[in-house]
Amino acid sequence: MKGIPYMNRQEKIRNFSIIAHIDHGKSTLADRLLEATKSVSTREMEEQLLDNMDIERERGITIKARAVRVNYEAKDGEVYELNLIDTPGHVDFNYEVSRSLGACEGALLVVDATQGIEAQTLANTYLALENDLEIIPVVNKIDLPSADIEGVRHEIEEVIGIPAEDCPAVSAKTGLNIEDVLEKIVTDIPAPCGDENAPLKALIFDSYYDSYRGVVVYVRVADGSVREGTKIKMMNTGAEFDVVEVGYMSAFGLMPATELRAGEVGYITASIKSVADTRVGDTVTEVDNETSDPYPDFKEALPMVYAGIYPADGAKYPDLRDALEKLQLNDAALTFEPETSIALGFGFRCGFLGLLHMEIIAERLEREFNLDLVTTAPSVIYKVTYRNGEVKYIDNPANYPSPDEISIAEEPIVKGNIITPTDYMGGIMELCKERRGTFIDMKYLDKSRVELHYILPLNEIIYDFFDALKSRSKGYASLDYELDGYKESKLVKLEILLNLEVVDALSFIVHADKAYARGRKIAESLKENIPRQLFEVPIQAAVGGRVIARETVKAMRKDVLAKCYGGDITRKKKLLEKQKEGKKKMRKLGSVEVPPETFMAVLKLDDE
Amino acid sequence: MERRLGIYIHIPFCIRKCAYCDFYSITATELRADYVNALISQIKAFRMAAKNYLVDSVYIGGGTPSMLSGEEMTRILSALRMTFHLSDDVEISMEANPGTLDGEKLAAYREAGVNRLSLGLQSADNTELQKLSRIHTRQDFEASFLLARLEGFQNINIDLMYALPGQTGEKLADTLSYAISLNPEHISFYGLKIEPETPFGRDPDIQMEIPDEDEQYHMYLTSAKTLESAGYPQYEISNFAKVGKECRHNLKYWKCEEYLSFGPAAYSFFDGKMFSYIKDVERYLMTPTDSHALFDEMSVPSKEELATQFVMVGFRLRRGINIAEYNARFDDDFEARYREKIKPFLARKYMVQTKEGYRLSRRGMLISNYILSEILEF
Repeated sequence: MKGIPYMNRQEKIRNFSIIAHIDHGKSTLADRLLEATKSVSTREMEEQLLDNMDIERERGITIKARAVRVNYEAKDGEVYELNLIDTPGHVDFNYEVSRSLGACEGALLVVDATQGIEAQTLANTYLALENDLEIIPVVNKIDLPSADIEGVRHEIEEVIGIPAEDCPAVSAKTGLNIEDVLEKIVTDIPAPCGDENAPLKALIFDSYYDSYRGVVVYVRVADGSVREGTKIKMMNTGAEFDVVEVGYMSAFGLMPATELRAGEVGYITASIKSVADTRVGDTVTEVDNETSDPYPDFKEALPMVYAGIYPADGAKYPDLRDALEKLQLNDAALTFEPETSIALGFGFRCGFLGLLHMEIIAERLEREFNLDLVTTAPSVIYKVTYRNGEVKYIDNPANYPSPDEISIAEEPIVKGNIITPTDYMGGIMELCKERRGTFIDMKYLDKSRVELHYILPLNEIIYDFFDALKSRSKGYASLDYELDGYKESKLVKLEILLNLEVVDALSFIVHADKAYARGRKIAESLKENIPRQLFEVPIQAAVGGRVIARETVKAMRKDVLAKCYGGDITRKKKLLEKQKEGKKKMRKLGSVEVPPETFMAVLKLDDE
Repeated sequence: MERRLGIYIHIPFCIRKCAYCDFYSITATELRADYVNALISQIKAFRMAAKNYLVDSVYIGGGTPSMLSGEEMTRILSALRMTFHLSDDVEISMEANPGTLDGEKLAAYREAGVNRLSLGLQSADNTELQKLSRIHTRQDFEASFLLARLEGFQNINIDLMYALPGQTGEKLADTLSYAISLNPEHISFYGLKIEPETPFGRDPDIQMEIPDEDEQYHMYLTSAKTLESAGYPQYEISNFAKVGKECRHNLKYWKCEEYLSFGPAAYSFFDGKMFSYIKDVERYLMTPTDSHALFDEMSVPSKEELATQFVMVGFRLRRGINIAEYNARFDDDFEARYREKIKPFLARKYMVQTKEGYRLSRRGMLISNYILSEILEF
C-alpha cells in the first residue's frame, strides 16, 4: 500500500473507533469493513481479525485495543486512509476505552436492531461525546426477524440525542449495506487537523511486548512527526528512548514507514523493555522539544480486585512467577506480589481491573503456560484506620486485623448504571437493595426501558452480581460502573473452618448484616464441593471466633468395586492411576483434601 | 519343575447384551463355528510353550459360554487336553446363563469335562431382572440350577448383584436368602457399576434409581454377614464360598499367578509377559496364529511393577498380603515400602494387621480403590 500523495494530506485521513456492546457484533463489522475496502480477502481473513487473542475470540470480546489502516476509494473518487482503532468492550477496561477514543475524531455506535442500546454502549458513547467525537449510529443485525430498525433509530435519538433517521442499517453478518457505513465515515467524520510543524505530541492508546522488537507502542500523532532516530520521551513516566522504527498496522501486520505525521495512527518501536514505560494515555513527545500541551487526564489503570493465585503443584511456583512476568510485559494493569498461605503454600496476590480481567489472566496462565492453578475468592481493597491512627489498605482478607485494632473500616464503593427493561425493574431494585445499594435516581430511556443509578459497594458486585442481574432480567439488563471512593462500613471477617481448622485462603470480608446468610451459603456450597473423606468433616463459618453456620461432609463409605474382569489387570491399574491423578490435584487444607475448584465455588452463591 | 497355569477361554457371544454390561461380546452368533475353529488353532499354537506347565484350572467365561453346543465345548476341551498337561484334579469352570441350558446340553458339558458351573442369577426379583435386561426369570434360573444338580454338577456358583436400580435392602435380603436356600457351593456378590458405554450409562433416570453411597454401604455389610453366617466365608471382596470351594481360577488373578487366555479381548499373564488379544471377533478370526497383529497390548512387567500388582490384587483377598511371601517373591521390604502409608488406614480400622501381614477390613474393602490409589506408586 502506498502513501497518499496529497498536499492536504490530513484531509484524506479518518480515524475512528467502533462502540458496541459485548455481543453486538463489533468484530464482525470490523471484518466486513476490511473486506469491503479489499484490504483483505475473505479467504485470507481469519474470522474476527482484529481480535488476535484466542480467549478474546472465544468470549466474543476484545480485551486489548488494536488498530488497522486501510485505504478506501469513496464514491467521490478520492482514496481515503481509514484508521480503525478497536476498543475493549468491557467495563473492566473503561480507561483503555477512553484512551482509544481519544485517538479518534469519530466513532461508529453499533446498536443491535433487536436489543437496542445497553448500559455499556451508553457509557462508552458518553465517553466518546466527552472526547468530542462525531458519532455515527449504525443499526446492526437487521437481517434478524426480530429486528426493529425504526424503533432502534428512534431510541438512539431519544436516549443519546443524536440524529439517526438516515443512519446506516446493516447486517455485519451478511455484509448488507456495509458500503453505507464506509461512505458515512468519509462524509461525516472530521479529518484530523494537527499542526505538522509543532513539537511532537502523540497519544499512546495501546502497547504490547514483542520478543524481537521490544514493546510496540500504538500511537495517534496529534502534532509534529516522528521517525527513526527521533529521541522521544514519555511525558508521564519520564522514560526516554531512541526510535528504531515507525510504521502503521495493515491487515497483515506491521508495515514500516519512514515517518508518522500529524493526524496519522501508527506504531513506534524503540527497544523498550517493558510496557510499564508505555502506559496507555501517556503523551509521547520529543526530547528537548517538548509539546506544551500534553494529553490531559493521564491515569494509571489501577487494580480494583485482588485474588491469590497459587500453583496446584507447589513445585511450579517459579513457573508461575515467570508466567506472570511474561503476561505483565503486555499488561501493565496486572500486578502481583508473592504471598504465602498456610493452606495453599507459596503463590501470588494479584491485582486486576475487574473480575473479567482476573478470569482472563487465570485462563491465559493455564492455557498458554500450562499451569494448574488454585485461585482464591477475589477481594476488594479495604481501607482500615487503626486505633493508633495508622491507615492501611488491605487486599488480602487473611491480613484483615481483629476488630479491637480497628478504629474505622472503609470499603470501596462504585457508581453503577443499570439499564433494564421496565418489566424487570422491581427485581433489580430488590437485588440492589440486597446488595446494600443506595438508590440515586432513575431515568426512563423510553416507554419500556429505564436507567437506574445506584451507589453500590464494590465488594457486592464482585460476588456474582452480574449473574444475578442476568438471571433477574432474563439477560436483558446491563451494568456499568466506576469507582467512587471509600465509605465507612460495618465490616467483619468471615472465617471458614474445615475439620476445626481455620483455612486462611477461604476467609473473606463481609458486611456484618450479611455475615450470617453468606456464611450459611458458603458452608452449603463447600459441602457440595468437598468429596467425602475417610472421616467426617465439619465445615464451620465463624465471625470473631463465634460459629454462625455448620455443615458436615459425611465419611466416605464406598467406592466402586470393579470386577477384575478376565484378568484385565491393566484396566484396573489404569483406573487406580486415574484416581491417583485426580487426588494429586487436590489441595490439602489441614487434614482435609479439597478439589482446586472449591475456592472459586465459594463465590457461586446462587442468587435466591 | 512344572509351573502351574490357569487357562481362560472367552466365548464372546450373547443372545442379547445386558443393560449394564460392557464386557466384550457380540450377538452375531453365526460366527460360532469359525470361532471355535480359531480358538482351537490358537490353543494349539502354544504347544511348544505348554510343555513347561501343569494346568490346574480352566475357566470358560463370556459372553455366554453356554451358547456353545456340547460338541463345540468337547472340541475345545479336547484341543486343550492335547496341547496342555491338565492336572488330575483340574477345575474346569464354565459360566452359564439360565435360559440357554437344557438337560442334554448340561450332560454334554459334563461329559466334556466341565466340573464347575457359574450361573448368573443377579437378582431373585423378576422386575429387577427385567430392568437389567436379563434373558431369564427367577423360575428359569431355578429350573436350570436343579437340572445342573440332576446332571451331577456338585460345584456351582451363583452370581448376584447389589446396588441395582430401585433395589431396596429387603429385596436384596430376599435375593440372598433365595440363593442360599439353593445351597450352592459358591456365591459371587458384585456391586453394579455403571459403565459409560452401556444403556445404563446413558440413562440418567436409571442412575437416579441407584441406591446411594450410604445404602450401598449397608447393603454390602449386611449381606456379607448374612452370607458368612449361612456358611459362606468371604474370601475376596466380592466372593463367598464354602470352605475349600473357592474359585481356583479367580484366585490366580488375585495371587498374581500365571494365566493364559484365549479369545478376543482376553488378558494373559504368561511366562513373564502380559498381553491381550485384539478386541474384535472378525479380525481375531482372520489373523494367522503367528501374527503380532493378533495381540493388542503386550508388555513385560518389571519386578517392581509386578510387586505393585501383587499388592493391588492381593488386598482384594480376605487373607490380605502375606509379607514373607511378598518379600521373598519380589526381593523387597514390604514394611519399609508401605508401613507409613498404611498407618492412617490401620488407625481408622480400614486395615487390620494379621499374623502374616495386613488385610483390608470389610469397611476397607468398600473403599479399596481409594486406599489402593493412596498407597500404591505406579
